[in-house]
Amino acid sequence: MPTLTYLQAISAALRDELRDDERVLVMGEDIGVFGGAFKVTDGFVAEFGTDRVMDTPLAESAIIGCAIGAAVVGMRPVCEMQFADFISCGFDQLVNVAGKMHYRQDLAVPITVRLPSGGGFSGGPFHSQNPEALFMHSPGIKVVAPSTAEDAKGLLHAAIRDPNPVCFMEHKHLYRRVKGEVPDEIYETPFTARVARPGSDLVVIAYGAMVDVALEATSDVDGASIEVLDLRSLVPLDEAAILDSVSRCSKVVIVDEANMTCAAGAQVAALIAEKGFEDLDGPVVRVATPDVPIPFSPPLEQAVLPGVDRVKEACRDLLAY
Amino acid sequence: MTSSRTESDSTTGAGHVIDVTMPQMGVSVAEGTIVGWRVGVGDTIVAEQPICDISTDKIDTEVPAPASGVVAEILVDVDQTVEVGTVMARIAVEGGAAPGGDGAPAGPAEPVAPAEPAAPAEPAAPAAAPEPSAGGADRAPARSHSPGRRYSPVVARIAAEHGIDLSSVEGTGRGGRVRKQDVLAVVNGTSNGRAGGAVEDPPLHIESPYRPDPPAPAPAQKAPAGADAVVTGGGTLSRMRRTIGERMKQSLDTAATCTTWIEVDMSRVEAARVKLGVTALAFVARATVDALREHPALNAWLNGEDYARHEFVNLGIAVSLGEDGLIVPVIHNAHELSVEGLAARIRDMARRARARELSADDVLGGTFTITNPGQYGSIMATPIINQPQVGILDFEAVVKRPVVVTDSDGNDSIAIRPMTILGLSWDHRALDGALSAQFLATLKRRLETLPS
Repeated sequence: MPTLTYLQAISAALRDELRDDERVLVMGEDIGVFGGAFKVTDGFVAEFGTDRVMDTPLAESAIIGCAIGAAVVGMRPVCEMQFADFISCGFDQLVNVAGKMHYRQDLAVPITVRLPSGGGFSGGPFHSQNPEALFMHSPGIKVVAPSTAEDAKGLLHAAIRDPNPVCFMEHKHLYRRVKGEVPDEIYETPFTARVARPGSDLVVIAYGAMVDVALEATSDVDGASIEVLDLRSLVPLDEAAILDSVSRCSKVVIVDEANMTCAAGAQVAALIAEKGFEDLDGPVVRVATPDVPIPFSPPLEQAVLPGVDRVKEACRDLLAY
Repeated sequence: MTSSRTESDSTTGAGHVIDVTMPQMGVSVAEGTIVGWRVGVGDTIVAEQPICDISTDKIDTEVPAPASGVVAEILVDVDQTVEVGTVMARIAVEGGAAPGGDGAPAGPAEPVAPAEPAAPAEPAAPAAAPEPSAGGADRAPARSHSPGRRYSPVVARIAAEHGIDLSSVEGTGRGGRVRKQDVLAVVNGTSNGRAGGAVEDPPLHIESPYRPDPPAPAPAQKAPAGADAVVTGGGTLSRMRRTIGERMKQSLDTAATCTTWIEVDMSRVEAARVKLGVTALAFVARATVDALREHPALNAWLNGEDYARHEFVNLGIAVSLGEDGLIVPVIHNAHELSVEGLAARIRDMARRARARELSADDVLGGTFTITNPGQYGSIMATPIINQPQVGILDFEAVVKRPVVVTDSDGNDSIAIRPMTILGLSWDHRALDGALSAQFLATLKRRLETLPS
């Protein structure tokens, strides 16, 4: 198996799908000739042509709207938002049209919207956000967020082949930092959670870039046995895996890179409060970004994002409870 | 175990109240005393959760909640004694289930004796007088359960599943909080804290003749000279101590108690018990059952002039509860049990007695009793008969002694043998010394001729 970066794994998945299924096309801003802001689609135009690798105007509503139309007539479009932050311009098409098309008209909308998300590189308030919770709240849309190269490829295959609109949250901070062995062939990673490290005293639940933070923060907290659960999929949420971890560990820290209020972790906490209550041996603790825009200033940004120290401290505190 | 989700029906959510009454703990029990409340007003409870501890003159036990809900009222204070059937507390139950629908005792329709506390002068006495709180912000939680400890859901659940008394579990969490690990340690028997239910039972007695050297004698205590006497503890006797005292005095005042002893060579028992992995007590119990079948006059009750022999043997075994006192759980139909069966029942009874889990039935109906101190090496005692029985057997330490043995040719020699002295206290009103001696001789024969 070749070792790929997270970004290369995403490219590989797109390339494999374009080769495997002629219904698949990709569209977005500067993804064609330029190869994409992050070079995910570098060289795609040469291989697949401009009909299947489409440069679009700077209009996210148009990108998603066109994709919906193409999907309804049988295509499998993959849209790239240059930055996840820009999805707000396509919000109505995604939430009100794509998400409700099947309910209203019995038409499947198999589109995938790639959302390069997250901070940690001084991108400031418009280029660092984690908007996944907005779409968790909207019926009819699936949301996945890989943390490893292998899952990035497998989840993207599964997203493209899924008959529903899927938001694919790809974390920019992981693009070139995360590497791993990735199978050559096409494989679909299920929309379920993954135990990144088993443990028994406490479980840290995270997804995306926070999985690595959780693993590093808990590699040694006074010798405690700490589990890390990588959610991978936010919609559907793997309730069974979450409750299983809670029943074994009884203490839970939930980490979100997104702003605290109503983040994905809030839903996880609510689930545990409702269905895992009898297994709890302490308060459900959340670590998240406070409800502020992400600062440009590197020290300020590091101060607001959940880091290794904050997660470690939260674990230590809860273990002592 | 899933979460308890109550789909509240918005139109009929009125709910109702269920009474918790002083339970009937045996036919002859008319009243009980509240030892302590485990819940406070406003606490949410689930059905079968113990909500208070009561003490009757037969047994101490806990009272389970008859239904899930919220504690609405607590009507009887700690240490108050009330009649059976008295409403002790009320539980507000959510939803429209019919009152008394699922076995709720004494539905509201039944005119129970008005819950008039014994001390009419005292106005409902709220849990502890409100202390003058320093800074008005202090929330004084109105919880009457004494230690004020609260337990997380998982700790409470594990404790309930394993019958562990959480108040005896040492907490290693913040502020002494009992963590999941602490209660699991008790379940797994790895706790080094104070005991809970599953900790290995201390032996009922010790067979080894070897004793550790006694600790060096403490420096001579200052003689308690009248006014100089220093009281280091004490207080009013517990209810259990008072009950034991009353019973023992009553027995001595009633029975014509005599005690007879016999020496028994326990070689065969020692060999057999090692093989079976059980205590010598189980063999003595089995031999006692057999001896009682041979001499049924001792398997009897004497109430005044009414003397009744029993066909079956319900064997009481005295279990020490440490400083608290002792209790005599009864192995019903002991004649049906093998040595291994008796050993298992004795273990179970002792464990449940120490975990305060015995039910009223477990202590009623005994026809003969065995008491088994001796773990400190004592060799003889004059036990007091457990009324209305007519005999009690005392089994103390087994000690290696030089004894004269005679071989088949009639040659005497001195041998080292594990010996014990069995003592039988018997009621001269019901039988005479010859019969008690025959009974002891039967016991001796059975124990010494145990098949090897």
